[in-house]
Amino acid sequence: MANYMSVETLKFLMNNVHDLNEVLKAERYADYDAESVDILVDSIKDWADKEYYPYFTEMDEKPVVYKDGKIIVHPQIGKVMKQAGEQGFLGPTFDYEDGGTQMPHLVQAGLNHILEAANNNIPGYIGLTSGAAQLIVNFASQELKDMFVPKMLTGEWGGTMALTEPQAGSSLSDIVTSAKLNDDGTYAIEGQKIFISGGDHEYCDNFVHLTLARIEGAPAGTKGISLFVVPKHRPTADGGLESNDVITAGDFQKLGQRGYATTHLVYGENNNCKGWLVGAPNKGLKYMFLMMNGARIDVGMTATSTATAAYHASLQYANERPQGRKMTSDGSKDAAAEQTLIINHPDVRRMLLLQKAIVEGSLSLVLEAAKQSDFAHTGEGDFKEDSHDRLEFLTPIAKTYPSEMGRIAINNGLQIFGGYGFCMDFPLQQYYRDIRIMSLYEGTTGIQSLDLLGRKSTMKNGKALQLLGKDVMEAVEAAKTYDELKPYANKLAGKMQEVQEVMMALLPHAMKGDFQRFLSDATIFMEYMGTLVIAWQWLKMATHAKEALVTGNLIYISDFYESKIHTMKFFFKYEVARTSGLKDILLDPEVLTILKEKELIS
Amino acid sequence: MNLLVCISKTPETTAKIGFTDGDSKFNEEGVQFIMNPYDEWYALVRAIELKESVGGKVVAINVGPASNDVVIRKALAIGADEAVRINAQPQSAMTTAKYIADYAKEGNFDIVFLGKETIDYNGSEVGSMLAEYLDLPFFSYASKLEMDGSKAIITRDVEGGQETAEYTGSFVLSAAKGLAEQRIPNMRGIMMAKRKPLNVIEPTITEDLSVVVKYELPEAKSGVKMLDADDMDELVRLLHEEAKVI
Ligand SMILES: Cc1cc2nc3c(=O)[nH]c(=O)nc-3n(C[C@H](O)[C@H](O)[C@H](O)COP(=O)(O)OP(=O)(O)OC[C@H]3O[C@@H](n4cnc5c(N)ncnc54)[C@H](O)[C@@H]3O)c2cc1C
Repeated sequence: MANYMSVETLKFLMNNVHDLNEVLKAERYADYDAESVDILVDSIKDWADKEYYPYFTEMDEKPVVYKDGKIIVHPQIGKVMKQAGEQGFLGPTFDYEDGGTQMPHLVQAGLNHILEAANNNIPGYIGLTSGAAQLIVNFASQELKDMFVPKMLTGEWGGTMALTEPQAGSSLSDIVTSAKLNDDGTYAIEGQKIFISGGDHEYCDNFVHLTLARIEGAPAGTKGISLFVVPKHRPTADGGLESNDVITAGDFQKLGQRGYATTHLVYGENNNCKGWLVGAPNKGLKYMFLMMNGARIDVGMTATSTATAAYHASLQYANERPQGRKMTSDGSKDAAAEQTLIINHPDVRRMLLLQKAIVEGSLSLVLEAAKQSDFAHTGEGDFKEDSHDRLEFLTPIAKTYPSEMGRIAINNGLQIFGGYGFCMDFPLQQYYRDIRIMSLYEGTTGIQSLDLLGRKSTMKNGKALQLLGKDVMEAVEAAKTYDELKPYANKLAGKMQEVQEVMMALLPHAMKGDFQRFLSDATIFMEYMGTLVIAWQWLKMATHAKEALVTGNLIYISDFYESKIHTMKFFFKYEVARTSGLKDILLDPEVLTILKEKELIS
Repeated sequence: MNLLVCISKTPETTAKIGFTDGDSKFNEEGVQFIMNPYDEWYALVRAIELKESVGGKVVAINVGPASNDVVIRKALAIGADEAVRINAQPQSAMTTAKYIADYAKEGNFDIVFLGKETIDYNGSEVGSMLAEYLDLPFFSYASKLEMDGSKAIITRDVEGGQETAEYTGSFVLSAAKGLAEQRIPNMRGIMMAKRKPLNVIEPTITEDLSVVVKYELPEAKSGVKMLDADDMDELVRLLHEEAKVI
């Protein structure tokens, strides 16, 4: 079995760095303990080894197709959906009474890491079904819950989130799918949705589309958007199903994730499509954000895991491929000497370390966000609110850093394969193609960056940024206990001071009402903050590793811990250093990207 | 049916193998352990399937220290009803078999299951010794087990074919690939496992009759060599002189 992720690293992060036991103290998680989570992790790894990983290449080579009005997916999707239901992996974080197992988000995220690394084509089908069911559980009536949720949690029915339309992608205020009240209290839905992931296939009896639409006469913009349950088939009184006039009009052929269906849905062509309103009218986008925030963290995890699998493939290759010779002390090469393995060349080592630094840093960040999500759920008073604010701030970064930097990690991994990296017989090209979508869907990097700088950094007078500063300083103090880590701790403390300088330079634009200027370099700001947030995660990892080495409380071999400290140093030397350049860009008063009187991009 | 399944732990398959104490002991530092796949995938699952179809009870038994509890819990999560750990770290298969036999004698078990071997030392010894101590017949390397009323029909893989035996009465069986299909414990099973009994008992007094004095690792393999597909002469030379396989 190929090595596509490290269970040790995952357990170290969950148990030590993110203190799973602290999360499990909540009453809600009384049935969980570290040992059962350990078993769960190992079991999900077995499941991934057996049912996910062996189909990774095949799903790319035999992608989803649209034929005779039907979406044909790999049969393994049907098998895994059913198994996910049996496993309790559909809606695991739900309350017991809603059919879940009250699984902590931190645990769920860790398990997702394994599955996504094994085969990133599959988990989306499960994740979207869970997410769609969650919207019904949280906001819909008991009647709707009974009608749809049980079958979704067994995997018999799939679920989707249907937002995007041809003219409305990043800007959902422009959606035009309409809803007109019927006499029976349901709504007649008409319109079309594109790019709907997991929107149809033969292995589920029904699909439940959580659809955004506009009720007749609703206000313009986001304030007039409502959320509907629109199934492909309507349940009938006798327990059967009848067509609900939702036509699957096609499947988009894509660069990557070719085993994951991306469908085009047409509602109400024959004026016979019914939707059930979820919650109150015109509150649809607010409800949908619940799902989208979770989905953004999930995308961050998919990107992290895809890049993780690529890293392990490159590492293995570098340990097997002989090429060139070691340089002798006078800089010459001895042609008679044996070829050396490429892992011995400093440039290859640099690329491997960059991959490791990015993927493990990303993993730690996504788990951090999942943990804050648990605290926001189970905590009380100020702690609960602070955890929520932390989560809000970290979400766009946890989505974007792994997507953008994961791609760079895979790019370096592909480079390690030399010419073979470019060939279809080797897996790197697939990871490289697969990860490309992750900085696009669930809100592009541009949109996430606007959210980070325009909303999350300024909300509640900058409270989230202050909380981050506090958390980073706590990690800095803990790291300073060890002489070896002191220089890095001090460096990060200094960098956090500079963030204030950057905010002082940017905020006046907003105060003057020049929001375009304030946000014009939001994506640079994202890169800047993302790098510092990952530096914070690495400092925490290194501190825990050092503590294990010093106390001798070693669960894994000592090399494991030393490697964490070494990678932290690498991240600080090669990545944190780049924030100086990014800061310079952010502080530079020259404006080159805002359209003035004359178009100069030609 | 009253079923006993012997489970052992083994280093995770990617673990780095090393030795201590003058190469006489396996170095466990930093090594992660799993349940022996032959015990877990085949022996345990077939026992659970039988219980599910005809009723009864599955008891999982392990001989080892408290750190084995996580492996035992997994057996409970997969579906064993209760578990027993004999608190000892014997050095030989004979002693392990004796401890289990002393427990099993009291339990009135219809079938005692084990994996055909543990994938660490691959001794394949405990089963036959256990059967001897219990004075029961032993069916080794079983790839199929069906019950026809009280009669057991056992198929075992033999060189180039299969052999089928029938037996009515209690017996010991070692499981090979094919006996069942791996079951992945589900969330509820894992949570239920915490509430199932895991009884720790002290071993009966037995002395190890043999001890291991030395382990040796195979010689490390050198890196992969890539050759031009047309360069047959060089390939033959390397196979001859370096790999020494022709
Ligand atoms: C494979 C795949 C699966 C998908 N799955 C789903 C799904 O399941 N459900 C669903 O509803 N949708 C889904 N989508 C849609 C996806 O979320 C959108 O494609 C995405 O939000 C971008 O919208 P768009 O494609 O219309 O691009 P546009 O919005 O046209 O964006 C084009 C470019 O302009 C930039 N841009 C746009 N507005 C701004 C702005 N205000 N400021 C700065 N820059 C801006 C963007 O960042 C981007 O670079 C999927 C898409 C794909 C490709």
